[in-house]
Amino acid sequence: MKVIAIYNIKGGVGKTATAVNLSYLASLDGANTLIWDLDPQGAASYYFRIKAKVKGGAQKLVEGKQGLEDAIKGTDYENLDLLPADFSYRDMDFYVELTKKPEMHLNKLLKPLSGEYDYVFLDCPPSISTASESVFDAADVLLVPTIPTTLSLRTYKQIKKFFKQEHYDSMKILPFFAMVDMRKQMHRLIVEYPPSFMPGVLDSYIPYASEVERMGINRAPLGHFSAHSRAAICYKSMWDEIKSHLYPTA
Amino acid sequence: MAVNQLELVFPFDQGFSELLASFKNNFSVNFQAETVNYRVFYDTFDWLLYNNGSALEAHEEGPSRRIYWRADKDGDLKIQLGLRQVPQLASDLAECEFRRQLKSVISVRELLPRIKIKIKRLPLVVLDKNKKVVVRLSFDEHWYFPSKTRAGVVLGKRITIKPVKGYEDEHNQVVEFFRSLQLHEARDNMQKLALAESGISTTEYTTKLNLLLEAEIPAEQALKQVLLRLLDIMQQNSAGSIRGRDTEFMHDYRVSIRKTRSALTQINKVLPRDIISKYNKFFSGLGKLTNPVRDLDVFQIKLESYQRGLSKTAQERLQPLRDYLAQSRAEAQKEFVNTLKSAEYRQRIKEWREYLENPEPTDPPLEDTRKEIYKLADELIWNMYQLALEEGSAITDDTEAEALHELRKTCKKLRYLMEFFQSLYPANKISELIQALKGLQDNLGEYNDLYVHGGILEIFIKQSSDTDAKKACKQMIKLIERRQTKTRRRFAERFASFSSAGIQQEFKDLFVESQKERL
Repeated sequence: MKVIAIYNIKGGVGKTATAVNLSYLASLDGANTLIWDLDPQGAASYYFRIKAKVKGGAQKLVEGKQGLEDAIKGTDYENLDLLPADFSYRDMDFYVELTKKPEMHLNKLLKPLSGEYDYVFLDCPPSISTASESVFDAADVLLVPTIPTTLSLRTYKQIKKFFKQEHYDSMKILPFFAMVDMRKQMHRLIVEYPPSFMPGVLDSYIPYASEVERMGINRAPLGHFSAHSRAAICYKSMWDEIKSHLYPTA
Repeated sequence: MAVNQLELVFPFDQGFSELLASFKNNFSVNFQAETVNYRVFYDTFDWLLYNNGSALEAHEEGPSRRIYWRADKDGDLKIQLGLRQVPQLASDLAECEFRRQLKSVISVRELLPRIKIKIKRLPLVVLDKNKKVVVRLSFDEHWYFPSKTRAGVVLGKRITIKPVKGYEDEHNQVVEFFRSLQLHEARDNMQKLALAESGISTTEYTTKLNLLLEAEIPAEQALKQVLLRLLDIMQQNSAGSIRGRDTEFMHDYRVSIRKTRSALTQINKVLPRDIISKYNKFFSGLGKLTNPVRDLDVFQIKLESYQRGLSKTAQERLQPLRDYLAQSRAEAQKEFVNTLKSAEYRQRIKEWREYLENPEPTDPPLEDTRKEIYKLADELIWNMYQLALEEGSAITDDTEAEALHELRKTCKKLRYLMEFFQSLYPANKISELIQALKGLQDNLGEYNDLYVHGGILEIFIKQSSDTDAKKACKQMIKLIERRQTKTRRRFAERFASFSSAGIQQEFKDLFVESQKERL
């Protein structure tokens, strides 16, 4: 089972759209896929027409009183399940802190699912906290959507710095450019000449596109209602690139 | 994803339309586009998985491909494997429980797509009031096309109900609807049904000759039957030998060539001399092409056990040897494949079959052409046994290895003759003598393999410039020599058993006395 976290300290950078579209593409490959909507806003749950509600909330999930399995719902797509968001996830940190090894707790919670799923996508909330550290530990890959602007690059540097300080494996970090508008000179420059502190940036990038916004109207992944749109094609090529990172010899 | 889907049998001769209309009246449904999916069952050439009650199948649905495994007929329901492709060989997989289970059934054999079932699927989903999918169904027709030229047949019709996690109540309602129609739960028997349509026998392939020769037929007729059966085995294994990954194809191909040559040279007063000379030369050439490939195959199989005697560091230093073996094998295989794909080869094989299938007796006959086969078989086997005894008795602890090699060849000739004419003798008696011979052959074969493998290592040492690898190989040669000494020591005991008064008497009873009784 590969755990792929979509993370950024910043909000509004396309994390949920990425998690929804990539998990959908993984399921199309025939891989058993789970997306965990960790963001109390519940946008990923909304996209999949599933109520952002978990019985017992964050406390029961984190304490392990209720296995993750019981809270999982099937989406409209075969091979793709969702662990919904819950408003109580805003207190996730508090409950994680109370566990024995907070930084490793998410890994412990996910372990029982390893026989069932090939991929788990974590749609993370925009923050940096103990719960995020648990994500850093559990993830095989940390996808960091980054808008090609000065402020976004600065945030990316902060993440890298934090990884270094706390001795997390920075090789896990896979940044990519999101919401790219090539009409803007700064976007074009940064995408074409990525800064030296982003050596592993993915070749694929996601354009700024109205199609992505329409996901909210259709409540479906791009590939389902607009498979041939430019953004859908970009997500597809990004997914292929991520797989080549996960399975270098495949 | 543990999905307990329910599969129901729908009557073979009815259409789905009436049922669909009724279902639509009871549930809010959304029809999806019809799809064509495939279910491909993988197995070895000789159906090892099927005969073991195991199954390895790939479900191909559009771009999605899922692979399922059932270890044996008593095993759990099939499990989905986290693989994207069906492996060709068990050794292609990383160490895991599935690899262990698969290897225990197929050993070194290659997996091939054996049965392909086409599923014409009408999928639909049941929606709740929020238009959320809560149950998935499909109405399926399973088709099988036995060959490109034969029309397809419907194997069965099925309705599959798949629950969606978290929506169990809705699933139960749908199941209830179908249960009320008295539809029965399906057994997973599609592979069996397809096999019945295909006419394939899963137990048919064997390298045993399985001939039923009549004792009084002329030797020529019997010999042609033997050679024809060997040609069949050769041809059954040629495509797999050309592909080259499953070493058993090459092994069976090569053994049938050796047996053919042995028949031509041992039974040499039956067929015209020009025929013997022409085809002996042809098969000898082919046999020589298979030698390096097979030697390297056996060495690579044994390498694992040889290197166990080395330190971990020495084992790690063997990579240049492994590369050398793989490259040498590829070169030898290429030469072999070129020959098998040549027009000349195909023509020769065609002519050989035509000759063997021609019932016209040789005229003028040779000394043994019209001799009753049981008489000739008795003579040949008895004489060869005598030769084996003579050669074996002359071997002492100081005898050169060459003599063991000669005895190994003689024993092979004896074994082949006994197998060719096995059906002329009481099954239990000849099997017992073959077993006695096998014990000696195993010892001689092991000794010879060790000799050949030492030789392969010597060649590598001469050619390689990698000092570490050479050092590790020299250590391995020492281990091989030690094993050779041990094997050699066991020879005397094995030969004593084979040449015991009891076994000698049994040979005599079967191949000398029984003829007198017939007379």
